[in-house]
Amino acid sequence: MGVDQVAIAALNPLIPTTDSVPLVRKSPFQKLWADKVARTALVVLTMLYLCAGFADPLTPYSMYYNDPDLANAPPTSVYVQDEQGNWTWPYVFAVKRSFDPNTFGQSYTEDHSKRYPVKLFIPGEEYKIFGLIPFNLHLFGVNSPARIFLLGADVNGRDNFSRLFFGAQKSLTIGFLGLFISYPIGILYGAISGFAGGITDNIMMRIAEAIMSIPSFYLLIALAAILPAGMPGGQRFALITVILSFIGWAGLARIIRGMVLAIKEEEFVYAARAVGMTEINTIIKHVVPQTMTFIIIAATLQVPSFILSESGLSFIGLGIQQPDASWGNMLKAALDNVNDLLEQPWLIAPGLAIFVTILCFNSLGDVLRDVLDPRMQGIS
Amino acid sequence: MKRAIATLAVLTVMVGCRPRPQTEQNGATDHTKPTTQQPVEGNALPSTVLAPDPGPFQGAEIKNADGTITEGLLSRGEVGKPGGTIKLSTFGGGPKTFNPWTASDVESSGFGYLMFEKLVDIDAWSGKYYGRLAKSFTVSPDNLAYTFTIRKGVKWSDGKPLTVDDVMYTFNEIIGKGYGNSSLRDVLLVRGKFPKIEKLDADTVRFTTAEPFAPLLNGLVVPIAPKHIFEPQIKKGRKDFHGFWDQNTNPSNMVVSGPFKLKRYVAAQRVELERNPNYFMVDKDGKRLPYLDRFVVQIVPEQNTQLLKFLGKELDMLDIRSVRGSDVAQLATKQQALNFSMHNLGPDDGSVFLILNMARRTNPKTKKPYVQTFKQEWFNNQKFRAAVSHAIDRQRIIDNVLKGVGTPLYTAESPAGLFANPDLKPYPQDLEYSATLLKEAGFVKKDDGKLYDSKGHLVEFSLSTNAGNTTRDGICVTITDELKKLGMKVNYQPVDFNMLIDKLETSLDWEGVVMGLSGSRIEPYNGANVWKSNGRLHMFDQRLPNDQGEVLAPDARIWEKQIDELFDKGATTLEFDKRHAIFNEFQQIVFDQQPFIYIESPLDVTAVRNTIANYKPTKFGIFYTPMGSLHNVEEIYLKQPAGQPGAE
Amino acid sequence: MSIPVYMLKRVLQAIPLLFIISIMSFVMLKMAPIDPLAHLRANPAISMSAIKEEEERLGLNKPPVTQYGIWLANLVTGNLGVSVQGADVFILLMQRAGNTMLLSSLSILMTWLIAIPAGIYAAVYRGKIIDKVFGIISAIGMSMPTFLLALLLLMFALATGWFPIGGLTSQDYYDLDAFGQFLDIAHHLVIPVMVLTFVGLAGIQRQMRGNLLEVLRAEYVRTARAKGLPENVVLYRHALRNAINPLLTLFGFEFAALLSGAALTETVLAYPGLGRLTLEAVLTKDMNLVMASLMLGAVMLILGNLIADILLKVADPRISLD
Repeated sequence: MGVDQVAIAALNPLIPTTDSVPLVRKSPFQKLWADKVARTALVVLTMLYLCAGFADPLTPYSMYYNDPDLANAPPTSVYVQDEQGNWTWPYVFAVKRSFDPNTFGQSYTEDHSKRYPVKLFIPGEEYKIFGLIPFNLHLFGVNSPARIFLLGADVNGRDNFSRLFFGAQKSLTIGFLGLFISYPIGILYGAISGFAGGITDNIMMRIAEAIMSIPSFYLLIALAAILPAGMPGGQRFALITVILSFIGWAGLARIIRGMVLAIKEEEFVYAARAVGMTEINTIIKHVVPQTMTFIIIAATLQVPSFILSESGLSFIGLGIQQPDASWGNMLKAALDNVNDLLEQPWLIAPGLAIFVTILCFNSLGDVLRDVLDPRMQGIS
Repeated sequence: MKRAIATLAVLTVMVGCRPRPQTEQNGATDHTKPTTQQPVEGNALPSTVLAPDPGPFQGAEIKNADGTITEGLLSRGEVGKPGGTIKLSTFGGGPKTFNPWTASDVESSGFGYLMFEKLVDIDAWSGKYYGRLAKSFTVSPDNLAYTFTIRKGVKWSDGKPLTVDDVMYTFNEIIGKGYGNSSLRDVLLVRGKFPKIEKLDADTVRFTTAEPFAPLLNGLVVPIAPKHIFEPQIKKGRKDFHGFWDQNTNPSNMVVSGPFKLKRYVAAQRVELERNPNYFMVDKDGKRLPYLDRFVVQIVPEQNTQLLKFLGKELDMLDIRSVRGSDVAQLATKQQALNFSMHNLGPDDGSVFLILNMARRTNPKTKKPYVQTFKQEWFNNQKFRAAVSHAIDRQRIIDNVLKGVGTPLYTAESPAGLFANPDLKPYPQDLEYSATLLKEAGFVKKDDGKLYDSKGHLVEFSLSTNAGNTTRDGICVTITDELKKLGMKVNYQPVDFNMLIDKLETSLDWEGVVMGLSGSRIEPYNGANVWKSNGRLHMFDQRLPNDQGEVLAPDARIWEKQIDELFDKGATTLEFDKRHAIFNEFQQIVFDQQPFIYIESPLDVTAVRNTIANYKPTKFGIFYTPMGSLHNVEEIYLKQPAGQPGAE
Repeated sequence: MSIPVYMLKRVLQAIPLLFIISIMSFVMLKMAPIDPLAHLRANPAISMSAIKEEEERLGLNKPPVTQYGIWLANLVTGNLGVSVQGADVFILLMQRAGNTMLLSSLSILMTWLIAIPAGIYAAVYRGKIIDKVFGIISAIGMSMPTFLLALLLLMFALATGWFPIGGLTSQDYYDLDAFGQFLDIAHHLVIPVMVLTFVGLAGIQRQMRGNLLEVLRAEYVRTARAKGLPENVVLYRHALRNAINPLLTLFGFEFAALLSGAALTETVLAYPGLGRLTLEAVLTKDMNLVMASLMLGAVMLILGNLIADILLKVADPRISLD
């Protein structure tokens, strides 16, 4: 939906344009930075992407690490004072789980006999930086058998905090990957269709409309169900991204085609033709800049919808599968027992993460639209 | 900007840290406990508290309004107050049909139990068969003929008499000719032949089988249909039968014999049942049952929503399988506040297990073996399977995944069932024993910590289960971990349910799978499809039909053949003790050979509001929901003044 | 070209489109390795012959082209077929369509009622607090997964006891009089409508705001102001009419969404709607049901676009159709 809204806003031919030129031109980025909301959004997003990119060193545990004796543990309490009230270096206690067979209640008690200080740059599980260089230092952690589960553990004893970071890797990239796949296809398809005109245009547009007419959610599910089962997590992730992009391109194609059609008739095209430029060159030279703005804006608004779609798919069980972490499937696991949310509010962390990310993208997109719209250039 | 970052940093630090460790003397609540209270006595779960056995049903003579006498049943519970509505729920999409003879899914069959009476039924306390519509029944000395005497004067809800003709029609025409769900017929086939059914006189009917067949009675636990309604319908042909009495049927068309009949089906929302005034049961004061006026079942697609509805007082009860392990502890703390009690009915009859693909054949289409040859050798090695079984820490799985609400399983028969073998001893996790077994089998754990077979192959195989199921997922992750300690590399990938079934039953393209199956507490022969070598669900070595459509098992192992013989013997022996011994032997073979590595059975826990009276759950009185644990649904009453419908 | 002729032309154009859609849907369905009988197969109580009979009955053994042909032939005669369970598809759809229509129309109404004034305010008072507040509220709505919002509201309902927990009618519904029934349904609709409205607010509100902002800068607006017209006349008589334009196109999409329903929200809230029905059908590969639902969705979309285009023409005579 976002795509069409923005396009209409950007290109409604009925609304006449202004053409006042300000005295001082600020670059788009400066304008963006000036707006407080956009600034916050940019900073948060950058931090999120950094966290995702450096998930391995920043988190105490890997995505698969689990301590089965501490499944469903609550967040580890980190103490900064000792029993006498003096300030000390932060430390934790080891936690034991016990079980009351009468009420089936599980309780987690701290063993106060030994303190485990929080260590910085602690050696831990091995990982590869950028998939190449093996390394094993983690920003913080504690010695075994104590654990530092800042957001508690899931049903398999895996650290929610660490998996949140790893989940960010999937959820944050799925948006952009989807974009990089669907947009080129959409643009190319639309441009060819608009340029060719006539029957080709007609047929191509009918097919695009057909795809658009299938309610996207069911298209998504049907496609996800087609995925051959039992493929490794990485492959599945890639294919889901492809599927998500399959949803978006048709709408974009239609709009681009509309733009191309309009531009074809513009005076400067005739002028260019008179000068001797071929039509393709003309169109590329003129279509691309005009659509650039639109694409950037639409992109920021499309990424959230991809993230939401992924979480929707995971909710049904068709998205990224365990044991890989994604915010969608972590949220699903949390919502499997929605009752516990009141007592264990940390379980909602993936939902919060999704929320914050999308909020940032939307805010950014809003401001970007204000900033990049050529007709708004006169207003600062 | 800087301020913002600073604030954020401080907040993060504050959230994670706590000023000082609180001890019990400080009186502070220990935030490391997820449940914030100490367990209160009133909030404890009564574990397997069963009401005492009231003895078998007695008959009762009921005087009808028109002067006739019905030979009915006398209720065994306390006398209650008539009136009121009970609000239950069913989880899923709701019943697909109200025709119990077409129904192939659990929900629809469940409604059938509420609306139609059966010839014989299973006693909730003893687990034995007793005559329901039949006043009595005898088995001939040669074990071939079962003679049933039907109670006189029983009426359908439209006033017409229920007679032997209805019984004959149901079995001969509807079931025998395979209208609707033909599994009802197949379960009664003895040596491929349907029993001969003869009407001996106006009240007596006799079933004769080709050879002694102990599971026959179990197959007769099936609703009886009204001949006067079904005969005209059957004449219309097979195709129309499927839609007869489907979801959208007009309730006034339905004629029932059970305690309740369909009043209204509100699509995708709820099913409303109302009292059948012609029901053939009375209480000790002679009042006709059921007590309840209305029986309302809401259709809820999400388990969470069901739980929330119960907490919000929109439901009176959460029956078996509606209370998940993870919900139990939470619910238990609310018992006093919300005025309900929880009941632990013991292990469920279903099981969850790990199977390894033991097929040794070649796929005729691809010309390649179903399982790689060297892996075949591992999976077919009994010591390998035993090692895997001993490496699994079942209790920890139950603690983690089911939050303790389950019981470890080692045997093919549910510990809750009549035929469980008491001699089979459970064994805890023993990694050393597993390592020893593997060494004996020729496997070597090398210095890199990985396990290799005698030919030098790394022991690596794939493990699947159905996607989207947190329980199974948790089990697989734990198994992967434990087997890693033995040096095995297990690649775990959840797979869509349909795909999994296809792999298990058609393509045989799997190596390890964690699956679950439902079982029976009463009749072990119901597992024939699974245990017979040519069974449809003989999953660990699934044989496929050949070109003629037959399923043959020429490569059956010795112990598979032994199991086949034991099942045949168990089917043709009628005496309970002898059958028990036969099936004990079968369980021993499974225990030794471990083709199914059993893991756990969840516990059946129900939550019932204290306003519901006469609720007496038992181990054997568990049927498909919405009847569920309400085996005595006709005796259930509300502790409220009569005439008041349930609120909201 | 006159409107009736235009409509006819569009309807004729729609037919090949629907045909393509049906083929695409069918192909996708068939490619998904979902077996409608998987649950039967996994049940030890069901015999092999019962499964074979079901396969026969559902025509699962026939080649896909034949299955499609059968479906198409049935469709032409007005027979939408039966679902895997045996219920008539047409009846199933009708039962649920009404419910979804109710929910969707109410949600769209509420969304527009709130979003348009909000957008206007935000545009007129651009940069002020109220603009930011509306911006944030609508941003929150857009940023949450619907099922999460639905679950949270459900818990809110539980905590306060003010609203029923999902569903559409309470069990006493048929015992109530007409007014009571009306209130009962209204009571049940509060949470579902809140979820869908909240989620849809943002789009319309921003759209309105953005359009109005652009229009307010236009030359003819400056002219109107220069002429001395009072501000609200400028706003409501001149600017708004132009700003509303793109929203009409949006309305087309919203109309289409009327019947596709919000599947996840309906599932979580146990709302008996079309979305939930279609979702269950897709997941169990209930072919007839899925095809019928998808075709219905497509028809609604095409209708919606048509209505939007006609509304555009009515609102602004300068637009030439075609």
